[in-house]
Amino acid sequence: MNNQIIYRLFFLERFLAEFHFMDHIDALEAEAIYIFREVAGQFKNAVLLFSGGKDSTVLIHLAMKAFYPYKLPFVVMHVDTGHNFEEALQFRDELVARYELRLVVRKVAETIKEKGLEDAKGKFPSRNVLQSHTLLAAIKEHGFDACIGGGRRDEEKARAKERIFSIRDANGAWQPYGQRPELWDLYNGSVSNVRNVGNVRNVVHVERNTKNVRVFPISNWSELDVWQYIRREGIGLPSIYFAHERECLLHNGRLIAVSEYIEIEPEDVVERKQVRYRTVGDMTCTAAVESNAATIDEVIAEIAASGMSERGETRIDDQLSDAAMEDRKMKGYF
Amino acid sequence: MDILRFITAGNVDDGKSTLIGRLLYDTGNIKSDVLQSVGGDDEVNLAFITDGLRAERAQGITIDVAYKYFTTAKRKYIITDAPGHFQYTKNLVTGASAVDAIIILIDAINGITEQTRRHSLVASFLRIPHVVVAVNKMDAMGYNEVVYEQIKNDFNSIAEKLHLKNITFIPISALKGDNVLEQSVKMDWYKGITLMQCLEGCEPVRAKNDAARFSVQYVQDDGVCMGKMLSGSIKVGDTVCVKPEQELAVVQKIIHGYDEVTESKAGENVSIYLAGKAKRGSMVSHFYDAPTLAEQLDATLCWLDGENVLHTDKEYVLRINAMETVCRITVLHKIDIHTYEEYESDVPVGINEFARVRVTTNDMVAYDAFDTLPENGRGIIIDAETGSTVGAFVCSVAG
Repeated sequence: MNNQIIYRLFFLERFLAEFHFMDHIDALEAEAIYIFREVAGQFKNAVLLFSGGKDSTVLIHLAMKAFYPYKLPFVVMHVDTGHNFEEALQFRDELVARYELRLVVRKVAETIKEKGLEDAKGKFPSRNVLQSHTLLAAIKEHGFDACIGGGRRDEEKARAKERIFSIRDANGAWQPYGQRPELWDLYNGSVSNVRNVGNVRNVVHVERNTKNVRVFPISNWSELDVWQYIRREGIGLPSIYFAHERECLLHNGRLIAVSEYIEIEPEDVVERKQVRYRTVGDMTCTAAVESNAATIDEVIAEIAASGMSERGETRIDDQLSDAAMEDRKMKGYF
Repeated sequence: MDILRFITAGNVDDGKSTLIGRLLYDTGNIKSDVLQSVGGDDEVNLAFITDGLRAERAQGITIDVAYKYFTTAKRKYIITDAPGHFQYTKNLVTGASAVDAIIILIDAINGITEQTRRHSLVASFLRIPHVVVAVNKMDAMGYNEVVYEQIKNDFNSIAEKLHLKNITFIPISALKGDNVLEQSVKMDWYKGITLMQCLEGCEPVRAKNDAARFSVQYVQDDGVCMGKMLSGSIKVGDTVCVKPEQELAVVQKIIHGYDEVTESKAGENVSIYLAGKAKRGSMVSHFYDAPTLAEQLDATLCWLDGENVLHTDKEYVLRINAMETVCRITVLHKIDIHTYEEYESDVPVGINEFARVRVTTNDMVAYDAFDTLPENGRGIIIDAETGSTVGAFVCSVAG
């Protein structure tokens, strides 16, 4: 190798070291980590809402990275509808043990009993709306001042309108027509003059009201971004995200898993299918998709080629009305 | 693949939502079930794709910002669809604050309107790097070059007053798709690029490698500072200066992700071991290249509160990055949104108004001029009673 080539290689290496390129996944990760640290800096008693699904699993991974090598400065809560996939529960417990998380579980069934609510009925009884009651009761019980959720703006049109720090009123309701301005990356989580405002003097300490803040660190991620991140970081997921055989009920073109939670009638068509779950919610209102995708690469290829949106293909509960999500958010849903 | 964030701003019927629908549709980024929900393939109401709230669909207007996403082979796009109505300007400012480019839509039938002037002022206030003026509805004006040139001239006189640079003009029809993705055959007099080519060519804003600024967001019990490297770089062994505490410290260790590194670079979230000299809100820099430290700053302010006007005798909370302190605000001049002239007024600054202000703070504030180091030259005003964000400001030349 002559000197000129060595000389050039030296400069190429210098150039590559200086030119520090962030790809879209790096940028999304950086945004999320920044948001997590804002939560830690602004709130005393935050909680991360964990369902066992891919989005909240990615949230946990991002939080671990944000605070490495320290433990998470908040607890993790599962609002348990009682209609879970067994695989998701098992995964939750493994993850909690591996990362030494502090887990709080609050059950919708108990809220129903305590508050004398009417349980979900019908062929596919969905406790999706009821879980808002459990969430709000848990916020009150623990005095949580911020709830971190895995909602993404590209999931649904009402979600597309929500701020990263979303202020909820005393009833947990979103106020879509009076959202707080949110400029640059200056996320403002103050709900009254109670916070220790930096080095402020002259601020009277009054008791915190019951308003709270919902925080969505992966707001700007698409479904594909989430999967690319899962691949890049080697993040584990519940097995049902990958192709497996399952007894399914064919209902209006959708495949609903056979379980003790749904009503199966004699005329129903039950088939054994090769399926996977694109989203993981309740067994009663999440549809499986027919799939042979057994690896992350195959899942990514399948999503990229899919003509259907994530929630459109898998959620029964969004189809109820044109504003189903907006309505649920007005009642405390995350 | 990188990310480009852009906002579309236009008057109510300028065809803004139609343009976004067009971009998503023509790039194959609308899934079939979503398309079905807005009317199916034949009679697509493209605007319904972005109007996510019940009242927006009922009234046919955009009230608050909506975020939409699409990808090309080159990059991921984040579209901020902002409202056009005057009364929702504060939402436009929210949406425009973090973008790389703004598309200002002008209806070729009506030409420049008051809202065009207001959107241009917002672009200038926030120093949005790329300004694209899309003259829409060219189909309704017979694709006439004269109409386009007239609007272009009118806008250039606005741009001059506002010091807007890097402006690209494009004649389009969002409805018919002319010059959106495909070069228009109806406007062969236009030799420039299409809107999509323009977006693909925009350079996103990146954290720069100039003066080192590390904003401390959260401090662990043992004094380790977690935060963001806003610009420049800091190396292990560097002697750094912590403001407003005015402490010097030597960087002992830096963690990025799961790795111990020797250097933190612009844009990275890092943890810096500083021997307990900093707290949330501290700004870490090199001592030879430090931010201004003062109890007073001059700024351009946009008022965002619809319930209360700016009270000059009231204490507010000022926030720049993670630093917060109590402040008072004096109005120097108001800015006229039609002429962009500064004028004196005794009328308090109200919602959607712009003003030059002088802010005095209870504590020393470490800041930079917005034009030289934007990440540490901008902030918000918080009403301590409600906790709400009531104003946004950018710092003038550091004192």
